[in-house]
Amino acid sequence: MTDQEILQLYRSGEREKAFRGLVSSYKERLYWHIRRMVLDHDDTDDCLQNTFVKVWQSLDRFRGDAQLYTWLYRIATNESLTFLSRQQTRGGSLTLEAAGRLSTDPWFDGDQLQRSLYKAIAKLPPKQKAVFNLRYFEEMPYEKIAQVLETSEGALKASYHHAYEKVKSWMKEEIDARY
Amino acid sequence: MNEQQDILERARQAGQPFKTPEGYFDGLEDRLMARIAAEAQPETSRKVRIWAVLKPALTLAAMFALIFGMGYGVLSLTRTLGRGEVSTDVAGYATAEEEMIRPASLIDYYQSNLAEETELDEETIVNYLATELSFSDLAEIYAQSY
Repeated sequence: MTDQEILQLYRSGEREKAFRGLVSSYKERLYWHIRRMVLDHDDTDDCLQNTFVKVWQSLDRFRGDAQLYTWLYRIATNESLTFLSRQQTRGGSLTLEAAGRLSTDPWFDGDQLQRSLYKAIAKLPPKQKAVFNLRYFEEMPYEKIAQVLETSEGALKASYHHAYEKVKSWMKEEIDARY
Repeated sequence: MNEQQDILERARQAGQPFKTPEGYFDGLEDRLMARIAAEAQPETSRKVRIWAVLKPALTLAAMFALIFGMGYGVLSLTRTLGRGEVSTDVAGYATAEEEMIRPASLIDYYQSNLAEETELDEETIVNYLATELSFSDLAEIYAQSY
């Protein structure tokens, strides 16, 4: 179902049908976006469900001035950032710990290179992590990321460049330490 | 630079390393609708319960506010009628009360207003301030004076 079809269905009164279509179209994309932020499957499931519940509650207020796609990513990103900031408030970082346990995580099937990549990404500040993930993994244009994160394109480019260099450096350090 | 880019490029090209439990995405829509339905009901009855408790308390508070307001209005009216003229010092006192955190302005008030009315001399004012203000307030006044 396209975004236009979803919105038309919703406006015609078929609210649940539209919502199911929306979930079906976006569940995997949003799941992987959140998973790369929070790493753990159960935490991802919580954030994803919270995201869609918020979408259900706010869909009637969606004016269409932004694309449905960027609006959904914004909600999902904010939900992930809220989760990560709650972790920091509690004085720890479960994400950093989860990244350290990837080698024994049954839900992680990657090689050493991918483990070092996610360990490096886990060290980034939450918002910079979001910028990096959206650009690096999803190859989202800066214009779209700016709408998702409500930040200027210039700031995003600088943030991504900085994050890229840091991740590269941390990965190299880890790989060099092993050999 | 190229070698390091290769590391990140190789990692991205390796694909998706994360897995999900079997069948996770199937039925996600049904699970969500069930959760939405479950959350909708208790909230409505919660709102009704909260309003049922608050309503009599708010009504009581409104009654007291009305009675108090009426009483204050009557008292003010009788006080005004009894004295003839309304004292103009009320506004001046209110200003001094608002500026109580600034001892210098309080001193100005006493010197300009109260002192004139009650014919207080400087020594009486100083003794009054010495007993009413703390040492830190006095130190601040001294610092502001010089």
